[in-house]
Amino acid sequence: MDTNPLDNASPGHGPVVALFVTCLADLLRPSVAFNSIKLLEQTGCRVVVPLQQTCCGQPAYNSGDYESIIPLAKQLIAALEPADYVVIPSGSCAGMICHHYPQLLDGDWRDRALQVAAKTFEITSFLSDILPIKRGHRAAIKLPSVTYHDSCAGLRELGIKEQPRQLLQELCDTELSELPQTEVCCGFGGTFCAKMPEISAKMVHDKVHSAQTTGATILAGGDLGCLLNIAGRARREGVDLEVRHITELLCGDLDGPAIGEGE
Amino acid sequence: MEQHSDTFLENASKALGNKAQADIRDLLGLFTPLLRNAAVDNFEHFEALRHHVKRVRQHSLDNLDHYLATYEQQALKNGNRVHFANSGDDLNSIVLDICQQHNAQRIAKGKSMITEETGLNDFLQRANLDVMETDLGEYIIQQAGETPSHIVGPALHKSADEVRQLFLQKHDLGERELDNTEDIVGEARQILREHFLKAQVGIIGANALVAEDGYSMLVTNEGNGDLCANLPPVLIICTSVERILPRAEDATAMLRLLVRSATGQSQTCYTSFYSGPRREQDVDGPLETHIVLLDNRRTEILASDYREMLQCIRCGACLNHCPIYNSVGGHAYGSVYMGPMGSVLTPLLSSLEESNALPNACTSCGRCAEVCPAEIPLPDLLRDLRHQETVEKITAPRWRIGLKLHTWLARNPRLYHWLTGVGIHLLHLAGRKRGSFRKLPLAGGWTSQRDFPTPQGKTFMQQYRAQRKQS
Amino acid sequence: MTDSSRAGIFSRVRQASAGADSAEIAAQLRSLGRAPAAALPCADLYTSFLINVLKNHGTADLASNRSEAVTATSKYIYQHYNTHRLVAGNDPRLAAMPWREAGVLPRFGALEPGEPVSLSYARLAVAELGAVVTFTGKANPAANNLLAENHIVMVDCMDLVVDMEAAWERIRQITDQEQRPRGVNFIAGPSSTADIEGKQIYGAHGPRQWHVILLGDVPATALQEARSIAAP
Repeated sequence: MDTNPLDNASPGHGPVVALFVTCLADLLRPSVAFNSIKLLEQTGCRVVVPLQQTCCGQPAYNSGDYESIIPLAKQLIAALEPADYVVIPSGSCAGMICHHYPQLLDGDWRDRALQVAAKTFEITSFLSDILPIKRGHRAAIKLPSVTYHDSCAGLRELGIKEQPRQLLQELCDTELSELPQTEVCCGFGGTFCAKMPEISAKMVHDKVHSAQTTGATILAGGDLGCLLNIAGRARREGVDLEVRHITELLCGDLDGPAIGEGE
Repeated sequence: MEQHSDTFLENASKALGNKAQADIRDLLGLFTPLLRNAAVDNFEHFEALRHHVKRVRQHSLDNLDHYLATYEQQALKNGNRVHFANSGDDLNSIVLDICQQHNAQRIAKGKSMITEETGLNDFLQRANLDVMETDLGEYIIQQAGETPSHIVGPALHKSADEVRQLFLQKHDLGERELDNTEDIVGEARQILREHFLKAQVGIIGANALVAEDGYSMLVTNEGNGDLCANLPPVLIICTSVERILPRAEDATAMLRLLVRSATGQSQTCYTSFYSGPRREQDVDGPLETHIVLLDNRRTEILASDYREMLQCIRCGACLNHCPIYNSVGGHAYGSVYMGPMGSVLTPLLSSLEESNALPNACTSCGRCAEVCPAEIPLPDLLRDLRHQETVEKITAPRWRIGLKLHTWLARNPRLYHWLTGVGIHLLHLAGRKRGSFRKLPLAGGWTSQRDFPTPQGKTFMQQYRAQRKQS
Repeated sequence: MTDSSRAGIFSRVRQASAGADSAEIAAQLRSLGRAPAAALPCADLYTSFLINVLKNHGTADLASNRSEAVTATSKYIYQHYNTHRLVAGNDPRLAAMPWREAGVLPRFGALEPGEPVSLSYARLAVAELGAVVTFTGKANPAANNLLAENHIVMVDCMDLVVDMEAAWERIRQITDQEQRPRGVNFIAGPSSTADIEGKQIYGAHGPRQWHVILLGDVPATALQEARSIAAP
């Protein structure tokens, strides 16, 4: 069933884009992946979802277990490399593939990792810089006010700052207000938040409260790790903050509950 | 208030509970980056400068055998006595010997991270010497019996009122109230001036050593280091082997980075280069000067994969930009070096086992590497230390084995998708009404501080496979 | 202890070093080129220096000749201290000033505790930093830089250089003829500290005020312009 990784591509003539769903979207927020497919198809891409994908290995890698993720990295590279592009709705997973896989691997595998890295993009950067998405004749999506949380990996490993904001302007009708100290980490940090919960709590507390000072209804971001952290803390503190992935906003998919909200 | 790096989490927890201190840290975390960024933006070719100095530092380290020999030769030629210290204890003994040879009782000390590293003050005080720190920040924490909370601003964790209370308690002030910061500084000035004039030995550090002519560079705003270097009859410079640079202009090029990165200044008030003791035609200056070069495992670091850490210029920018440092403060690290640079250096200078929490005190947010003037990839070095912890089985088994299990599962997509499909569906059913869990087995770290958002429904992979089957 | 430490350190450093010879090392170093300096705040060198002096919390004055320098000094110390006295190092250039013309009473030597004003004649000035450069020695004892309440520094406009690289070139020219000085001091402002709550306070240990007199053929407009640019 999984023999040809491209056999499930959507029809058309555009470039074939392999979507790396990321484990967090797969498990906790599938709408991020469905919306990503929708956005990519709007630009004329043919989207495939390689079925051999699971997780990019960041939890173990960031904890310092380099050895055990090498086979995982190879498995993912093999699954992604037939496509023309790889698009990922997460800055940190894209950073992992673009920067850390090539460092981790040697020889032939390093070359393959570099080739995949060269065609791998975080989704907002892909939709702005590579195949720009245009609103065209469609009506702008009306949204309540938004503040955008820059994830550290996206911001500093990939230089993603303007892209999500530009996309919101292009596709949506909303007021964007910036977080004070937007360049400061929210305290997620992968396993950090579980290894050092008290310190992480101070950081995410600060983030939730600076989001409140913006007066925005929605806090959006490009990395589910940060968003789960922020939404989870807001819920714990009883702060009313609607936390959503940027792809949900760009598709106007606001009907279902936001992250951490009940049905 | 002795704190150790092996109790980082306890120290951090205590620090987080102190609201007044946390407020000061929040303010510093806000302002210090602004000052640095303004100074950097004002310097047109900052990236080029950063790159140039990095290359010079790498060149110096690559050829340290040559530069160390040249430096020693020049320093001797200038009339210095040059000492080598393998360990911190060695340095302390060398310094004490010199003081005792001169029957010195009063020591005036400039700010020096090397002597913090070796614990020189305690050592000399145990030998009944009167050692006084003369940098205002160092003086304050010495009076308070504390250690520095920051490598550049050692007393920034204290409010002006706390300093005032400290002086009221420790100094004989008579009627004076020290109503404002000017008065507090004036009080310290008076006390320290008397000490300078009577000190028999001055001890300072060096921001750089110049191989070409044996000068050592000393950078201060207060001028206290210069007073230590000029007034007492004996001067001891405590420094380390990796401070050596080829030429004087290399030291001042580095200074351009240092001042902007450390305090957002474009220059410091006093930048001095000292060669050695007074000469025949001089009317002042020390009669005898000693340079003590500390190794303390730096030569091991030079030969290791952590060599880049030796490019550190001790500016403190990584501290000021680290969200963890700004959350818990310098004391939590239980070490003279703190923040990202400290979390790399402390395990390398002591032991990884003892300070195993420090490399984990990092979210890999990358802000430190972004501002590091020496372009040290601090998050990578911290992750490499975590790698070493994994290899040496220092990492707690539940993490080590748990993550290995997760990775193993991830390498078996069909099993992974099936297992997660079952688990996630159950979680969804249990939590969909509330939208999040307050408690969850195996996620205690997470749920101790925040809710765990309920999965949206079936996993994406389940839904996607189902869709494909239909079409 | 130090001998065995020395041998160990040298041996470990040698093992970790590239093993290049002196000529190769010198060539490598040359190939790294020159570090970029801070841009000057304006096109004119004198004005730039004066702007940076003012930004460093110094004050500044101009004097086109020795008489004017003496008058400027006299006016300054009388205004601040109601005195005619100051302490200056045994610098022949200072000894040759027409002090009596302006009623200044210099004492030549090292500053003693309690004497408020010192005067130095700098060897150089650096526009990039707004700094003056003095050498320790008979002509300028260290106490004169460090222990006064008020430090006045004269410097010839011909000795003003653009940046630190240029300063080192000039210092080497000087030290080729004289002996290496014990201390080379770049001074860029009064003694200051921000160790309490980050608040800038002047007069931490040394001078509370720092006054620079730029001597020579400098147009008066340079100072006026510097003041207007440096003013907050």
